[in-house]
Amino acid sequence: MIKKIYLIGNPNVGKSVVFSRLTGVQVISSNYPGTTVEIAKGYLTLADKKVEVVDLPGTYSLDPTSGAEEVAVSLLKELPKEEIAVINIIDSTNMERNLLLTLQLIEEGYPVVVCMNMCDDAGHRGVHINFTKLEELLKVPVISACALTGMGIKLLTQRIKEAVSAPKDIITHQQRWLEIGKIIEQVQHLEHRHHTFREIMEDASVRPVTGLIMAGVIIYGAFKVVRFIGEGIINHITDPLFINIYQPFLEKLSAYWQEKGFWFHLLIGDLINGKIDFRQSLGILTTAPYIELGMVLPYVVSFYFILSLLEDIGYLPRLAVLLDNLLHRLGLHGYAVIPVLLGFGCNVPGIMATRVLESKRERFIASTIISIGVPCVPLQAMIFGLLGKFGGFYVGGVYLVLFSLVIILGIILNRTLTGYSPEFILEIPPYRFPPLFMLWKKLYFRIKGFLVEAMPVVLLGVCFINILLYFKLFDLVTSVFAPIIHGLFGLPKEAAVALAIGFLRKDVAVGMLMPLGLTANQLFIGATLLAISFPCVASFVVLAKELGFKGLIKSTLVMIGISIIVGTLLHFTILR
Amino acid sequence: MKKISLVQINPEEKVSILEIVGGSNLESKLLSMGVYKGRQVTKLSHIGLKGPVVIRAGRSILALGHSVAEKIIIERE
Repeated sequence: MIKKIYLIGNPNVGKSVVFSRLTGVQVISSNYPGTTVEIAKGYLTLADKKVEVVDLPGTYSLDPTSGAEEVAVSLLKELPKEEIAVINIIDSTNMERNLLLTLQLIEEGYPVVVCMNMCDDAGHRGVHINFTKLEELLKVPVISACALTGMGIKLLTQRIKEAVSAPKDIITHQQRWLEIGKIIEQVQHLEHRHHTFREIMEDASVRPVTGLIMAGVIIYGAFKVVRFIGEGIINHITDPLFINIYQPFLEKLSAYWQEKGFWFHLLIGDLINGKIDFRQSLGILTTAPYIELGMVLPYVVSFYFILSLLEDIGYLPRLAVLLDNLLHRLGLHGYAVIPVLLGFGCNVPGIMATRVLESKRERFIASTIISIGVPCVPLQAMIFGLLGKFGGFYVGGVYLVLFSLVIILGIILNRTLTGYSPEFILEIPPYRFPPLFMLWKKLYFRIKGFLVEAMPVVLLGVCFINILLYFKLFDLVTSVFAPIIHGLFGLPKEAAVALAIGFLRKDVAVGMLMPLGLTANQLFIGATLLAISFPCVASFVVLAKELGFKGLIKSTLVMIGISIIVGTLLHFTILR
Repeated sequence: MKKISLVQINPEEKVSILEIVGGSNLESKLLSMGVYKGRQVTKLSHIGLKGPVVIRAGRSILALGHSVAEKIIIERE
């Protein structure tokens, strides 16, 4: 009886898409190797029984060479072979490379069903496969499928029960490649064709000159589009909603409020010139929803739209190749661009994605760099919202400071930390253009994740701050930290509250700077400090999980040290 | 016949791998990805200043760090 079904395959063959199709559980899939860093589990109903389905990280063979591969292989050995079924997912456009794992699985006696995924793409690329012949040669069920559209998935579930254990003699990889050569000759027919535009672009993006030009255009374009969409949503959707509909409603509500006591302070906050000001009132019903939904959400939507697009097309691994050089100086290698880019959305998935890096040292450097020098979307949105009106110079300044910090810090960490940074070997996927509905699904999934995680923290956070403010409990904090905040950083001592709140959520913290009436330069220092000081509590938790307690302490000390140095330096160079 | 590494050949050159000198871990990793002794590969590009080398092996495109590419020895007439 099958108790568990495992999905196994090379990296980036669409395991997660098949997994979503089989179980209905939505997981993030992208066009680069190593998207799955957490093991996803779901259920499939097989002959009226619910069977657990496990989506394993991609692996090239059963002899693990990296952490993720080790996890995949050890999970596979959890149950006796008679109680499991293994769905081996193969990228039909590159069958040859995939078959190594297939042969190994069969030899070791795993009950295997082969799922030839991306069949439609193979057809487009002139790769024709004789599936019946392949099934004959491998002696296991072979199903052609296209998980994106769902084609073949039903057949796959019907044939899972045909998977049986039939161990063979174990041979070496060299012998397997010979074997594969023979199989390929019999089942695969390549149509000879000229280079398509897609292939020309694929090649151009990894050549030095054309690659760098393309990277420049794509990054600049992506940045512009993120701003354009984000501002568009704010100006045409969220601001009108808040100002024309929500505000009059709140004004009426507050007019009925006779005695403006504790509850008024908690829910509405302070009236600015007798009116509610979404940016400054600081109430649970006013500033809290406005920060999250009116200032941050529009940018979350636009950022993840562009990131998801680049991910699915398969551009990011190419960027990794181009940046390998620079990242080597920081003790990382090219592939670290993936966690860093994810970190720009939210540091939490960014730090989690450092698992694609092999050594502990690399993971420490990458996580520290992300939590110090990579501002998340909510923080960036607030920086744009606050500093934008003083001109692009200030906004650019924050990025410049952060970028220089990352470089300096990376170089120092690389020179001082012991350990090794392993070799860079990365498979570059072909460009793919998945249907738009996949993009929407992923975007919806990420936005929902953001709202579910952010909203409760923001509401509770603002509530908590308001209570403390109402009972004047912050006075102690502000006076204790006044020498640092005022003396070293040149900020009014009330800014201590904002910096402390930064531990909770960065966007709310920047919001706390709004009512202080800071000058552009002070705001610049405050925002920069918020970006580099403590990560928010959510990133703190993942940092602890990924780096361990010692790593966390080390990373935190680096952060505090740097915040003080940078804050002081900025204060004495631009305020004096 | 001259033994040189993947770093030293020109883009678009098609060569046959003679040996991989990086130790068994590197060798087995490359082996599982389809880069092994006797395999024909085409160099696609090389990012300057000790950047990675991009090769095509069968239908796969692989980026190899500079230090990896240096360890892949090929033979040229």
